[in-house]
Amino acid sequence: MRLNGHFLRNTMEEIKTWARINSPWVLHFNSGSCNGCDIEILAALTPRYDLERFGIKLRGSPRHADVLLCTGGVTLQQADRLRRIYEQMPEPKFVVAIGSCALSGGVFQGCYNICGGIEKVIPVNAYIPGCPPRPEAIIDGVYKLLASLKPAERALEPSSHEYGDRAEVNS
Amino acid sequence: MDILDKIFTLLIFPGGLFLLILGLAYEWVDRKLLAQLQNRIGPRWFQPLADVIKLLAKEEVIPEGVNPWLFIGLPIIALAGSLTAALYTPLVGLPPSHSFPGDLIVTVYLLSLLTLCMGLAGSNTLDRFSLMGATRTLTQLFSYEAPFMLSLLGPAIVVGSWRIADITSYTENHWLLLSQPIGFLVALIGLIGKLEMPPLDAPEAETEIVAGAMTEYSGRGYALFRLAKGAELVVGLTLVASFYMGGMANPLLFLLKTLLLLLVMVGLQTLITRLRIDQTVGLWWRYGTLLVLVQWLGMIIWKGVAS
Ligand code: SF4
Repeated sequence: MRLNGHFLRNTMEEIKTWARINSPWVLHFNSGSCNGCDIEILAALTPRYDLERFGIKLRGSPRHADVLLCTGGVTLQQADRLRRIYEQMPEPKFVVAIGSCALSGGVFQGCYNICGGIEKVIPVNAYIPGCPPRPEAIIDGVYKLLASLKPAERALEPSSHEYGDRAEVNS
Repeated sequence: MDILDKIFTLLIFPGGLFLLILGLAYEWVDRKLLAQLQNRIGPRWFQPLADVIKLLAKEEVIPEGVNPWLFIGLPIIALAGSLTAALYTPLVGLPPSHSFPGDLIVTVYLLSLLTLCMGLAGSNTLDRFSLMGATRTLTQLFSYEAPFMLSLLGPAIVVGSWRIADITSYTENHWLLLSQPIGFLVALIGLIGKLEMPPLDAPEAETEIVAGAMTEYSGRGYALFRLAKGAELVVGLTLVASFYMGGMANPLLFLLKTLLLLLVMVGLQTLITRLRIDQTVGLWWRYGTLLVLVQWLGMIIWKGVAS
């Protein structure tokens, strides 16, 4: 009986993970970028790249989103908003930092009004460097994030969840 | 045996599981065709299923300031409404599993339960986008409901019965599309308005008001609303196709005719941009209703002359 319950729970988990990997809805937030990265994100969402193939859809409401795509070095004004939007998303949620600014502050590093990276404000699951990263790089980063949800790969990197996997992407 | 039969009817065959799966399949066809018309590849075949499972497995946030009972109950009522409506419609070319004189009216009202629930769900929250979406949803409901109903009553007048089974048995040998083209058009566009598909998607215009009445729904509630919409898509297509497109005697005809109708709807979605809410209301009350009424008048006079 216990074995059965275990098996059932495992199967349910597997189905849930499968659904999560195959239907990531994204929300796009600009926390003070120069707009270059945002244009690349929008380019990645156009019919040319057709992200609906992977089930990726842009949603307007944080309540519907699974993945938060953030750009920019987080200005002091936007930090509060970024945190609020992150809090509004239902679990499980993932954050992808896109562009050099989102990773470290980039060209704005050291400015008086910059927190210096998304991870200073909210936990980040994947980093995509580049100034700006190409749409292919963004797609690859999101894909690697989703692939890291699969149990087999999670076992390889046990401590990866808190700080996220660095998606090594060349742009 | 009787009880088992009833449970089967409610939970599996026309009522429950079957309709949900069919709804997901039709949603996929809709999205895939739309993608193809936009020169994209489009979603994979299991996409709507993955979306729904993911939403069901997600945390449900109950925002501050809502009535939690309403917040949780409305999606269930909406889904129940669309599933019940299926019991009276000739799904898959089979005769409806339940039927009584006047079930056409009941079905039409059960179909609008979804919209009503969405409007209430939107106005239940404090969020401004939800409120705006709810206002638009209800405005649109009031504008398309009358013409849609009138256009479905057109065939009923011809047959002289308000029973769906009678009407479909008559339309099996008569293409009412030819004798009542206006009614067909109004019914088709009314269906688009009911399902809030483009070009009549002002209530959930994601470029203006985030997600309309659904903005605050996450997880389970949103999944149930999506399932209800899928079921309503199938039931609505079945109703219009069986009334106007020569009925459907077997499953093959059912698939053929409903998919053809869906293709026309997807074509309209790609061709026409979103109408403003006042344009939607104007379209229905200035043209839709009047044209259907004129057609009614013609039909009644014709009946009088012929008899
Ligand atoms: S990484 Fe480059 S393109 Fe992106 S926001 Fe920073 S400066 Fe702009």
